[in-house]
Amino acid sequence: MARKLHLNPVLRCDALIIGAGGAGLRTAVEIIAGKPDAKIIAVTKVSSPQKSHTTTAQGGFAAVNPKDPIDKPVYHMFDTWKGSDCGSDQNVTKKIIESAWEQTLWLDNHGLHFTRNEEGRFSKRTFGGHTLEFGKGPSAFRAVFEADRTGKGIMDTVWGESLKGNVSFINQSIVTELIFKDERCIGAIIFEESRGEFTAVLAKATVISTGGLGQVYKITTNCRQNTGDGLAVVLREGLPVMDLEAVQFHPTGIVGPGILASEALRGEGGFLLNKDMERFMERYAPKMKDLAPRDMVSRSIETEIREGRGVINPNFNLPHVWLDIRHLSDYIHDVKLPEITGFFKKFAGIDPKKDLCPVRPTVHYQMGGIPTNEFGEAQKNADKIVPGLYAVGESASASFQGFNRLGTNSLLELFTMGKFVGERIAEYLQDADDLEDIPKDTGQKSFALFSRYFEAKGHENLWKIRETMRELMTEKVGVFRNEKLLDKAINQLMDFKERATHIKLSSPSLIMNQELVDRWELDNLLDVALVIAHGARNRKESRGAHTREDYPERKTEFNYHTLAYMQEYGKVTLGKRPIDMSIFEEKGKDYKRFDFLARKY
Amino acid sequence: MDKLYSLTLRIHRYDPEQKKSWIQEYNVEVGGMLRFTDVLRKINQEQDPGLAWTSSCEHAQCGSCGVVVNGRPLLMCELLVQNAIKQFKTSSFTIKPLSIAQVLRDLIVDLPQAYKRIHKARPYIIKPADPSPEGDEHRISPHTMESYVEATRCINCFCCAEACISSHRHFLGPNAMMANIVRLFDPRETSKKERFDILYADDGVARCHTSEACSFVCPKEIDVAHFIALGKEARFS
Repeated sequence: MARKLHLNPVLRCDALIIGAGGAGLRTAVEIIAGKPDAKIIAVTKVSSPQKSHTTTAQGGFAAVNPKDPIDKPVYHMFDTWKGSDCGSDQNVTKKIIESAWEQTLWLDNHGLHFTRNEEGRFSKRTFGGHTLEFGKGPSAFRAVFEADRTGKGIMDTVWGESLKGNVSFINQSIVTELIFKDERCIGAIIFEESRGEFTAVLAKATVISTGGLGQVYKITTNCRQNTGDGLAVVLREGLPVMDLEAVQFHPTGIVGPGILASEALRGEGGFLLNKDMERFMERYAPKMKDLAPRDMVSRSIETEIREGRGVINPNFNLPHVWLDIRHLSDYIHDVKLPEITGFFKKFAGIDPKKDLCPVRPTVHYQMGGIPTNEFGEAQKNADKIVPGLYAVGESASASFQGFNRLGTNSLLELFTMGKFVGERIAEYLQDADDLEDIPKDTGQKSFALFSRYFEAKGHENLWKIRETMRELMTEKVGVFRNEKLLDKAINQLMDFKERATHIKLSSPSLIMNQELVDRWELDNLLDVALVIAHGARNRKESRGAHTREDYPERKTEFNYHTLAYMQEYGKVTLGKRPIDMSIFEEKGKDYKRFDFLARKY
Repeated sequence: MDKLYSLTLRIHRYDPEQKKSWIQEYNVEVGGMLRFTDVLRKINQEQDPGLAWTSSCEHAQCGSCGVVVNGRPLLMCELLVQNAIKQFKTSSFTIKPLSIAQVLRDLIVDLPQAYKRIHKARPYIIKPADPSPEGDEHRISPHTMESYVEATRCINCFCCAEACISSHRHFLGPNAMMANIVRLFDPRETSKKERFDILYADDGVARCHTSEACSFVCPKEIDVAHFIALGKEARFS
């Protein structure tokens, strides 16, 4: 079944955006703003950028108006620092939060339909971990939103602006390899699924914005395409990823499909109940209760379930707790949160006005990603960038989220960082050298990989391996971790990779061959799964979403970001990147709040 | 585990390399709470890894998995097995790709091609109003927004375009029209003339036969026909 693979004629552009979701396209739009004649190509795995996973973000976009008489940007910085379990970089945190409000105005001026109050101004809602007065005050009304489809609003806006700015889109395509010349990234190899063809795209700047890795786990809010592709591609090029052990479990996934039931439901007054109808969050977080940060609420739910106070869902045989939103007004159900209450009706067959909603933790977000500086320039190590390569959005880690992300901070991050990266690239393009030609061996790595897929013989089942891996990661590298489980997980993942070489594809076709893409995704999933497990094994402490039962406390010796390299499967090298403490070190007013502090809610 | 249902699926297939079409029958036993996307995944896993179909978010927010089931355009991800049996009064289902664009393979159609119609309707603000004089957000009353915000929930799944009795060749389609109509309402759009040009072009709202099939099939339950009707009457306030 050997196939002769070849490259199409080279495409050239100024900037190549890999992954056309909210982050990628915000970057594209900002490049055009700085350099209107820039030629931009954006590649997406889905059939239109509008189908990207950004579209599913529900609750809101955190932004403090600097003129606000009650809330202050510094409170938001503190909440982010504390929420991250002292693992976010303070230079990045400050930069993002200070430009948040201006970016909501940008969105408003470019057509996002923010929900308004009676005065015609932005409505705001509360979210977990967002407080006033450094945690001493009440919950902060800090998130602007478009009903419960804020992500869709952002996606539609940047997609529209990209169309207006003449960005060229290549849809239904994946990126299989990066191209380098003398250490500088000069583009990538893309595989267009609908034509079954490889093309080399030469670009002065290459941006990776491929999103998350939720499909590594069995139950996830992430879309089918979130298979950690960008991370796996970067790893294969010998470049690092950062803090992959920090995986966010959202406390309230709808039991069964794992669909997200936004924190906004609790922000608007919903609360959690166990089997005995007890509001158990009062025990775990006496002050913030149901609006404690996500990692704490997820651990609390898992603990309730482990201690026998969960409920078993008969349809899916899954343990869960209840979310009670029966007491919320019809206005909240029907106008402010119509999509989410609709999900319960559609996918769980229950009426949230009358019934309790079954929810359980579901994998939602990766705090880590491709390490970048505050300009989104991808790093080779803690001190050195890779010229020409950028990363932004969930696939990148600058790091704003540290080891636990607060609700509404993801849309904020992807949007503001997109702007910063776009600005940086527009500057870089002013005097970047023209690219001559592709290096001789370009594409050979992709061809070798795909040829191996086509030539493999054996009886292993692709989906069986994929599903078993997802179960393994959920059981052994999930909310609670320990050394014994992690060792087992690592051994099994090694075995899966070997077994995967015995998967025989049913068709030799290159055109729209879903099985071929599934096979490639399986490699990506296994690669990132193994790096998550190694990072988790090495971090012998508990910090944010990373919880070790055998090391339940946070430790000073782990006050750093994990850098992980894995060019060859199984050969993991770990490094460190310091956590930026610049707000603390500048010794300004309130600087003491930005020390390594105890985390109680 | 809940009750298992035996389903017969007759799926329209197409192989682009052989240029061959055929109908293939699959029999599966599945739980009632599974979505049709889960059912097809099960077929990939257990019977036929080569059957091609597409999806993304799988909770009716992205509009990637539109197909025609027993004659009705819908999103596979929001069709639960038990509801499908109730709604169609059968456990046999014929699944066809949407006809709004060329089929690439099996149930996957060339959505980027279909999207060109949305691009023609310019889904953005062509010429934005000056920013608010206060230096912050535009003041838009929630009552003004009430008249059009429902239309902004459209996810371009093209189910309405599939159901529309006006031909795809001559009409940009209900969803494309709605993208245009949203900005006719939007006080931040100043290019109303260009908007009316799109609305009343040869492939504009005049092509609509008012069958209201669009509203009937919309997975987001948007009253698409209502917005098209407002477009025909130019009632945007």
